[in-house]
Amino acid sequence: MKFFAVRAGSIALAVAACFALQSFAVGKGDLFFRLVFLAGLYVTLAVSLNLINGITGQFSIGHAAFYMVGAYGAGYMANNYAGSWGLKGPLLMLVLLLIGAVVAAVAGLVVGLPSLRLRGDYLAVVTLGFGEIIRIFVQNSPPLGGAYGLTVDAQFKFKYVWMVWLLAILCIAVCRNLLKSAHGLPFLAVREDEIASSAMGVNVTRVKVTAFVIGSAFAGAAGAMLANFDGFISPTSFPMELSFTILTMVVLGGTGSITGSALAGGVLFYIPEYLRDLKPVSGSSLVAAVIAVIAAVYVVKRIADHYHGDKGKRAALYLGTIIAGVALQMILAAVFKNVPSLANANFEASKLRMVIFSSTLIILMLLRPQGVFAHHEFSWSWVQRLFGKKVPTTAVSV
Amino acid sequence: MDLGLNVWAAFELSTLPQQVINGLLLGAIYALIALGYTMVYGVLRLINFAHGEVFMLGAYTALFASWFLGYGKGSTLETSGPANLMILLIASMCVCGIVGVAIERFAYRPMRSQPRIAALITAIGVSLLIQYGGALVLPIAPPPSINEKVNPYRGVVTMNLVGGDPQLLEGYEKAKIEFETAEKEWQAARDAKAPDEAIRTLRDKKNDADRTMGDLQRRMDNSGVKIRIPQGQLIMFGTTIVLMIMLTYLVMFTAVGRAMRAVSHDFDSASLMGINVGKIVTITFLIGSMLASAGAMMNATFLGTPLTTFFGVMPGVKAFVAAVLGGIGNIPGAVLGGFLMGIAETAVIWAGYGQYKDAIAFIILIVVLLFRPGGLLGSAKVEKV
Repeated sequence: MKFFAVRAGSIALAVAACFALQSFAVGKGDLFFRLVFLAGLYVTLAVSLNLINGITGQFSIGHAAFYMVGAYGAGYMANNYAGSWGLKGPLLMLVLLLIGAVVAAVAGLVVGLPSLRLRGDYLAVVTLGFGEIIRIFVQNSPPLGGAYGLTVDAQFKFKYVWMVWLLAILCIAVCRNLLKSAHGLPFLAVREDEIASSAMGVNVTRVKVTAFVIGSAFAGAAGAMLANFDGFISPTSFPMELSFTILTMVVLGGTGSITGSALAGGVLFYIPEYLRDLKPVSGSSLVAAVIAVIAAVYVVKRIADHYHGDKGKRAALYLGTIIAGVALQMILAAVFKNVPSLANANFEASKLRMVIFSSTLIILMLLRPQGVFAHHEFSWSWVQRLFGKKVPTTAVSV
Repeated sequence: MDLGLNVWAAFELSTLPQQVINGLLLGAIYALIALGYTMVYGVLRLINFAHGEVFMLGAYTALFASWFLGYGKGSTLETSGPANLMILLIASMCVCGIVGVAIERFAYRPMRSQPRIAALITAIGVSLLIQYGGALVLPIAPPPSINEKVNPYRGVVTMNLVGGDPQLLEGYEKAKIEFETAEKEWQAARDAKAPDEAIRTLRDKKNDADRTMGDLQRRMDNSGVKIRIPQGQLIMFGTTIVLMIMLTYLVMFTAVGRAMRAVSHDFDSASLMGINVGKIVTITFLIGSMLASAGAMMNATFLGTPLTTFFGVMPGVKAFVAAVLGGIGNIPGAVLGGFLMGIAETAVIWAGYGQYKDAIAFIILIVVLLFRPGGLLGSAKVEKV
């Protein structure tokens, strides 16, 4: 009885939280509304990719393709058929959402079935290639708008931020429950050792395909949301770098950690939006930043490799390095101001986006390959332990 | 759903030999890049995603070298001998060799003890960093990216395989004589200051004859089978083959090559047998990057492709597909895959689906991996990652 009560309570709480967010976001301006919307979308994308990459241990770098398939599927249906259904508002959106999810799931199945017999890096290339194939076909397909893009006639003004966040929460819940239940164990087993798990009777291909289908269905649902929110989609809205952005989120958060990917998705998506409003960066401060970052990374790496002392002292050393790095950047920037060729060169901040993402990836791999959260998850017992309470650790979700 | 396809839109059988040649020429470049991928994969079991970016930097180095030689924008320098081409080639090979080794030393070597996925993500990061970081500082060079005066070989080699229809040829000869007489008459009339009316009639007659001649010439050309190859591409192909032979010699008949094969066979045992594995990996990156940059330099010089920092993405991805197609880690496989990829791409363009030429690479890849997961010449192994 307690189980069901807790479940019902959490569902009610989640729905209530989504509606609270909705009423909070409405009336704060279009930009803020869009940010809240996008945050939910990226959380969904990151967590669903995490299911494939982190939990099942496959390596997909074409997640934007499923996002795109969902968006186009829902957009096409909304344009050509939705008028005759007689549905309105959230109900229509829900149906479109399901269509996006189903279309993307089918796409995931089509890619998954043949390619999941492949080794990790082969799979990576096939997913990358699948993204390209989809993009090229859409570009040359007149009913889908070709290269000019597709204007989605949604028949309603999209204002359902609660729905996006409900989707994100659903995605998190599915992954979390998968991890906590017996159904999730094969996924973890495949991640840890494919051969051993198949020897233990796990149907490896089926597990992989299932993960692929669930992950792409959520991405497709997110795409359906995007198509109806923006009202316009084009092949250029889903470039290869979007896949890499989502991958960065998963890797940064900690491959395998739902908490990590959700947080990273919610935080990292904001970087491009933030950089858009920034003033151009001068060459002197940019070069100074590059030097400072390299120096700081070098020192941190040295500390991590060679200092095996007390945890607190090590944290202090890291903190000191970061402060020294910032100071170094300031000093160098002041010095480089006197070099006219550097001081006069200006770089648009928005162009730095992918540079920041890619250097984050490299630095993270150098310093902490398992990501910020590694395999750890947020849990109440973790919070309780933080406050000094002794709580027994659970077996699952190591 | 109508995908807007028009089957056999530009299908013309007499162009088949030309298309095969085009495919081989294109495939040679893919093969050259694919060798770098396959060698690195063979030694380190790592997809060097940054290889396409090394290719891009090779083209940029050639561009800067040509500027350095004085063939920049608005230069008045005339074409001189092949020495300039050699300078460009050596410059880009040296610079890219260093870049490749630096990438290995600073990005991949610290990853050696980490799981392979971490190294793969690092490779993606390095690739993106060079693309987008390079876009901040490197200029965009519109076509022809490198001043074509650098290249002394700008002619076209033509080979007649099957002559034109003899009847058409006869007609063409007749039309040519007609045109020449008409032109002479017209000029004579003009020189003699004949009345305007007469000059106009003669001019119209000359133009008509010109048109007939042109039409016959086109028909005659289409009825024959001939191959046209720009000299530059011929040199490109020759250089590629020479480089491949050099590589084969290096890998098969030298001590370094033997060490490379040993490392590729078993990394740990090779190091136990006294092979300096770090050195071999460095040499592998050096050679792979130099091959790619040679391809890039020739691509930019002879084909005049526009240069951006994303210049290497598509060739890189296709070359990687070629390497996988042939069986990654397998050197003859990479060459085979490269040529197959080039021919497939040309065939797609030939059949009139030019817009799908980037998709075909992946379609072939998926189909081949379905039936031979290890590639055409490779062997499939289940591996514990």
